[in-house]
This record gives sequence, C-alpha cells and structure tokens, in this order.
Amino acid sequence: MSLAQARLGTRSALAHAAWLRPRNLALAICVVIAGWLVFVPLAALLYTAFTEDTGFGPGPASLQNFVEAYSSWHIVRLFGNSAIFAAGTALLTLLMGALVAWVVERTDAPGGPLFHSLALLSFAIPGLLTAMAWIFVLSPNIGWVNALLKSAFGLQDAPLSIYTMGGMIWALSSHYFPLAYLTLGPALRVLDVRMEEAALVSGARYWQVMPKITLPLLRPAILSTLLLLFMLGMSSYEVPRLIGRPARIEVFTTDIQAATNNAPPEFGLASALSFTLLCICVIAVFFYRRSTRNAEAFATITGKGYMPTRIKLGRWRWLVAMAIGLLFAISLGLPLLTLVWQSFYRNLAQPFLGSTSTASLENYQFILHYPIFLNAVKTSVLLATMAATLVVLLTFVMAWIALRAVPRSGWVLDSLAFTPIAIPHVIIGAAVLFAYLMLPIPVYNTIWILLIAYVTLYLPYGMRFISSGLVQIHKELEESAEVSGARARQVFMRILLPLLLPVLLAAWIYVFVLAVRELAASVFLVGPGTHVLGTISLTMWEEGGSYGAVSALGVIQILPLVFIVAGLRWLELRVQRRSEAAAAKAQAG
Amino acid sequence: MFGIENLRKTFLAPGGVIVNAVDGISIGIETGKLVTLLGPSGCGKTTTLRCLAGLERPEAGRIVIADETVCDTDKGIFVSPSDRGIGMVFQSYAIWPHMTVFENVAFPLRVARDRKYSSAEIRDKVGRALDMVRMSGFESRPATQLSGGQQQRLAFARGLVREPQILLLDEPLSNLDAKLREQMRVELKRLQKRLGVTTVYVTHDQSEALALSDEIAVFNAGKIIQRGTPQDIYRHPKSQFVADFIGSANFLAGTVKDVNATDHVALVDTQHGLFRCSVGQSIAAGQPVLVSARPEDFVLYDKAPGEGLNVLAGKIAHRVFLGEVVDYLVDTGHGEIRVRAKPEFDFAVGQTVSVGVAPQKCVALPA
Repeated sequence: MSLAQARLGTRSALAHAAWLRPRNLALAICVVIAGWLVFVPLAALLYTAFTEDTGFGPGPASLQNFVEAYSSWHIVRLFGNSAIFAAGTALLTLLMGALVAWVVERTDAPGGPLFHSLALLSFAIPGLLTAMAWIFVLSPNIGWVNALLKSAFGLQDAPLSIYTMGGMIWALSSHYFPLAYLTLGPALRVLDVRMEEAALVSGARYWQVMPKITLPLLRPAILSTLLLLFMLGMSSYEVPRLIGRPARIEVFTTDIQAATNNAPPEFGLASALSFTLLCICVIAVFFYRRSTRNAEAFATITGKGYMPTRIKLGRWRWLVAMAIGLLFAISLGLPLLTLVWQSFYRNLAQPFLGSTSTASLENYQFILHYPIFLNAVKTSVLLATMAATLVVLLTFVMAWIALRAVPRSGWVLDSLAFTPIAIPHVIIGAAVLFAYLMLPIPVYNTIWILLIAYVTLYLPYGMRFISSGLVQIHKELEESAEVSGARARQVFMRILLPLLLPVLLAAWIYVFVLAVRELAASVFLVGPGTHVLGTISLTMWEEGGSYGAVSALGVIQILPLVFIVAGLRWLELRVQRRSEAAAAKAQAG
Repeated sequence: MFGIENLRKTFLAPGGVIVNAVDGISIGIETGKLVTLLGPSGCGKTTTLRCLAGLERPEAGRIVIADETVCDTDKGIFVSPSDRGIGMVFQSYAIWPHMTVFENVAFPLRVARDRKYSSAEIRDKVGRALDMVRMSGFESRPATQLSGGQQQRLAFARGLVREPQILLLDEPLSNLDAKLREQMRVELKRLQKRLGVTTVYVTHDQSEALALSDEIAVFNAGKIIQRGTPQDIYRHPKSQFVADFIGSANFLAGTVKDVNATDHVALVDTQHGLFRCSVGQSIAAGQPVLVSARPEDFVLYDKAPGEGLNVLAGKIAHRVFLGEVVDYLVDTGHGEIRVRAKPEFDFAVGQTVSVGVAPQKCVALPA
C-alpha cells in the first residue's frame, strides 16, 4: 500500500513556517514587552550612574557619581545602618516566625487556622501605617506606652524609644514575622516525620532529634527565609522614612529618595547608590536561589499520606496558644488598636486611659470631604485596577507560553518575569523615573508612569500565582479538547479559562491589594495631580496633619484591604475544600 | 486507508542531546482493526500516537487517516488535531472537572464544525455513547465525583460520541487497579469489535497487548522491530528483545550445528547439550545463537522423559508458590532455568529433576 495515493482532504492546511506560527509570535511579543518593562529602567539607571550628572540629564561617561557617593564617611554609615537594620530584622523576624510556625505545625496547640488567617491579614496593612502606629505607641514624646510606664514607675525620661535602631527593627519585624511563618510553615509541615521517627527508633531522645535531625533538615528552608528577609529589610522604605529619618538613622533606600528630592535633584548620586543597593540585593538573590536549589536535594517531601507527629503539649497547649495569641496581639493588635482609637480623637489620645467623652467621627468627616484624599482614592483604585488587570493578562499569556506552547524557550519568560523580585521598589521607582525622563515618551507626571512601574513591580507575583495554577491543570485536559474538535479559541474559553478562573481572580486581588499599598516606588513618580493613597498619607503625616486625621486616613485604607484579603482567604479555603472533597469522593467511589 | 510512512520526530533532551524519539517508522493499519504499539517507556510509541493525533509535529513523514493525508512534511501539509476527526482516550483520562458527565461527552458535538447538532440530537447521541459504556444515569453527575473506572469509561464515551474515523488510546488502562483493568480489557475488546472502529492502542503492558490486539507492533528505541498477530509475536519472536519483552523467556547460548532449511529446524549445541529448535530464515550453520524457551513450556519430570524432547538435568534451587502456578529455578550446573509448572506436581527444593521442552517451543535467535 502506498500512502502517497491518499487524497488531500479539503481540511488540509499548509503548515506555516516555524517563526510565523502564532505561538512563536506570541512568545516574541511577550519577550519584548516584559524585556522592555524590566530592562529599559535598569539600562536608564546604569546609564545615569556611569555618566556625568550635568543637572540637565546625563553627560559623558564618568565615575564621578561613585566618587561622590563613596568619598565621604557617610557611605560607611549607610552600609552599616542598612546591614544592621536588615540583618537584625531578618533574625528577629525569623525567630518570631519560626516560633509561630513550630507551634502551629508541630504541636497540638489550638488556634492554628486562626493564626494562619491573621498572618494573611497582616498583608493587607500598609507598611506606612504600621510605622505610624508604632510611633503612637512607642515614641518618647507621644507614645502612650511610654507615658504609661513613666507614670507607673515615676520615671523622668521615656524608658522606650521607637527612634532607635532597635525600634526600627522591632517596627519592621512586627509587620514581617507573619511572612516568615508563612514561608517556614510548609517546610515544617512536609518535613518527613519518618526521618525523625527513624532517629527515635535508633535510640535518640526527642531533645536530641531536634538539633541532630530536624534542624539540619530545615537548614535550607531557614537559610532561604533569612536571605529573603534580609533582602526585604534592605529594600524596606516605610520604616526608615518615618522612624529612621527623624532619628538620623539613614539607610540606602531613604538616601536614594532624598538625593532625587534635593534641590537641584542629584540623579547621578541617587543612581550610584541605587546601583550599590542593587548589587547587594542581586548577591542576596544569588545565594537565595542557591539555597532553595539545595533544598530540593534534601527531598524531605516524599509524597502524601503521612501525618507529622505533633508534640503533645497536654495541659500546656492552651498556654502555648495564648502565648502565640499574645505575640499577634502585641505585634499587630496593639498598633492597629492605637490607630483606630486615635482616629476618633482630634488630639493625642491614649487607648483606655483618657476619657472617651471627646470621641467623635469628626476626623472621618474631615477626611471624607477632603478633596485631595478623594482624588488619591480615585487614582489609587484606578491604578491598582489597571495594574492588576494588566499583570494578570500579561503573566497569564506568559505562563501559558512558557509552560505549554514553547516549553523549550519558556525559561526566558520565566526569568524575565522574576527579575523584578530582586529589585527594591525604591530602585524601580528611581529607574522608571530616569528612563522616562530620557525617553521621548510623555508619561512623566501622569498616572501612566506609575502604571508602568506597578506592572513591572508585580510581574513576579502574577507569574508565580498563575504558573503554579497552570502547572496543576493537566496538559491533557487541553489536548483532549483539541482532539475533540475544538479550535484554539474554544479550548481557551471553554476549558482553560473556567479551570484557571479562581487562580486568576486570586492573583488579581493580590496584585490589587499590593498596588493600593504601594509607596516606595510611588514617591518617585507621583506628580501634583497624581497622588496615590500612600504618598498622600506620607505627606499628611510629615506636613503636620492632626494625629486624628492621619489615623482616620489610615483606618479608611486598612478596612477595605482587610475585607478584600479576608475574602481572598475565604475563596482559597472554599476552592481547597471543594477539591479535597472531590478527591475524597472519587477515591471512595 | 490508514497509515504512517517514514515518520521521524526528535526531541531536545536536557543537556542539549538530540533524541530520536521516532526514527523512521512506517505502519499500515487495516480498517476496523485494533493495532497495538507495544514497547518499554521511551520507545517512541506514545510520540507516534501523538503524531497521529496531531499533538506533535513530526520532522518528517506522512500520515493518512481515512484516505486523507493529514500530515505530509514534503508537501508542507499539517492538519490540526481538531480537524482530524479522531477520538482519543488519554492516560490521565483528561476528564474536564468543571463539567458534568453529560457536558463532557457533549463537548465534541458542541464544538463540531462540519455540522450543527440540535440539542435533541446531542441528547440522543450522548445518551447512546453513555449507554455503550454502561454509564447511563450518570448524566448530571459532576465529573469530579467519579471513580477511576467511571472516569475511564466516560473518557471512552467522549472519544466515541462523534463516531470518529479512528480511535487513539494512550495507555487507557494503566491507572486502574489490577482487577478492574482485566475487566475493562474484556469490555474494551467487545466494544471495539461491535463498533468496528479502527483503533490504535499504546501500551507497555504485554499481556494487555496480547489480549486485545489484532496486530501488535513492538517498538524499541524509536523503531518497530517486529509486527504480527499476538500468537505470531509470542510464538515466533525474531529477537531476544521481543522474546524477553513479551512474556518471559530462558535464553541458552549456543552454536548452530546443522540447519534443515525446508522444515526451519536447527540443531544447536549449547552448554546443556544438543537442542533442536525452530529457526528463522537468516540462521546458518556455525552461527552463534540464543535458544529462547518460555518457562511455561518446560515440563518437570522426576525421571528421564521419553523421546522427542530437549532434555536438561538439574536440581530444584528455588520454589515460589503463586497459587495457580508454581515457579521453579532449576540449577543445571551451567546456569539456572526458570520453569513454570502446575501446582499438582510438586517438587521440593534440592530434588533432582529432568526438564523437558518440545523442539517446536524452542526458537533459535541471532545472538
């Protein structure tokens, strides 16, 4: 039989040249967009850093900016402060997070789901507002806890001060420790209990298992969490701005922003400092990736169907749960409560101490009729909506191409999308500013420059959400639709989109919340008409709005975000429960 | 007419190595038959099937489905999977979890482009397809609430609902437990015979291939190394690989002393003595060969058996009781022979035995 005699069917189509196939075109377009978003600002930053700062934009190539940045003792203080602040935060955060993770995952203390939800809720709170609230609590002049201690012990001076390195570390750690818990928790959860049991049956006591087996097995997870937290500490802007600056404890992020804000602005100096900070972060990311790669070699995850042995705390379990509850109450509850309390009073108020007779809604009335605030709300919500939509759309296409269409070249898109995770917001803000001051694209002083920065900032988050969602959708689900006769569009609309919708929604909400909270990049990019919630709060705080009005402004921002994150958590739990139920039912059937 | 000609597909393995997943395969498939592509994992059988479906683009080759060229790399023709008119059952079943049983089966009809189906027609066709796989009454059940066996049947109903030109099955039974797998094997065979749909079946399970196929193509390293009916492949393997992969076999190394070309019978000198075997055409006197004989073809005797058999003497070295059968390892002094026997005649470890095997059950393969 010769197949050559077979007729050519009416449906036979000529094959396209490889590069003309739609999926390869889509890959090229995505590479160009993501590459533009990531590399144009970085190129502008490097260009600004390594050329002469003429005051009218970059001049000829020179190292003058680095000479300026490195020629005074100030740079040593900058390195020292940043390193101590970041390392101190990383250690304290890890300690608090590990404690919570251990109690929730490895003991039978009650309250695990509650603590998990609280940890997620802490994401909803803008860093600026936590810093503000801690000033209300622990400032030597206006902090109510200091006032309380002074009167209780008859002290002359305030015993505690937020305006110290320790205060800064505490303010940031209290906000970040839920993150440490969330990253360490899974590592503790999947730690194969059989490894510990093997040690126990080999004759080890439980207190010997901990340092000899458990901790070494967790070392990669601990190390990577430490590096992540160090990087976050290095990049953090809100606490250094609100607490560090009045205390004259300068770090890289605040100095970079200050340099661009000088009159005349010192873009050259700012970019030289940015370059230095970027190098530190890239090194940290390098070690972070290496430590997470090693984590796989440890392969403590050996599949399903085992329950970790939880330590039986007996009658201590309630006490331990209460201790963890107290940790959350002090680190999250105390500042939030103070903020809420203050928002009902015009003047400085001390929670539960003063009389409640002067409480009023006056501050809220003022804020809600304050035109600049209303504009900022509009701008922030509009920006966050656009950023979340663009990020989700772009990363959806990128993730699909990377995982499905051209898996061979997919890593390019993956690495492109993840690059911004290594770049502090402050640097992205500065770099985007430099780039669009140079380029003949008129976005400066408009909301579009903010949008470009936001999309760049949140590419990694969108990519992580959506590619992990896509990985869980078996490729054969799409292929079976294709062989059933469905066109690419039908496969997309009827199979892929409905299956991925919960993930897309979650990614959208997550990016939205992050974008509404954004401050560090925005301070570089807002113009007179484009203030966002973060910058308006900062301005009001620094330019002497009343304590009450500033607090009301904060509460108004926190409330909707808390509701959104709570909704997200509810959605997540529902999806999880549904798929678990389905799996259980199928198993039984 | 169905078939594949000179199909070639390479993959870039990690480390930049180019792997010839499918290395110049040609196979004709008779209308209405069930052909199995059998081989170990990584042998190219699944890639061949995916090329048939259009889910992979071959570098070279021609594919014809129902008299229509759907792929011809020389002429630059490539018909997309959605236009090939095929039904396919995937290893993971690929049941869409966000649809009901009914909607899963109705999907191929709803997206059909050659004609528009009315909702009455869809209801009718889906009903018949579900009936065929004995899933009537499950229509409104969410697809996630099905057991493995039910999902598998649903996948068949979906593959058959638009009466495809060809049915492609990618290890459809491999995710079922052993008992269910055997039951589904029988059902599948019956269904295929009744519908008379041309079927290509991919599996690595030789017993499945033997039970189901009209024809088996044994794959190894991207090539078809033997084709034939199940009996043919089992009885007359042409290479050590096929003899070893299909069923299990004892291999005795030896040299051909004499060949009788008309009867295809040869006399082979092995360490265990002279063996009479059947041979293929290419075997000549003086050639080194492997004599292949299946464990179940050996018979154990406590004293020397009669004439006409190839006989070995040995001692029972090991005995494994399996219920229906007993497996023995017989030490002949030159190596061990695997023998599978009925449990009625029991031999003890250490007992001296004679092992006999009929010459027509021994095949001399090129070493």
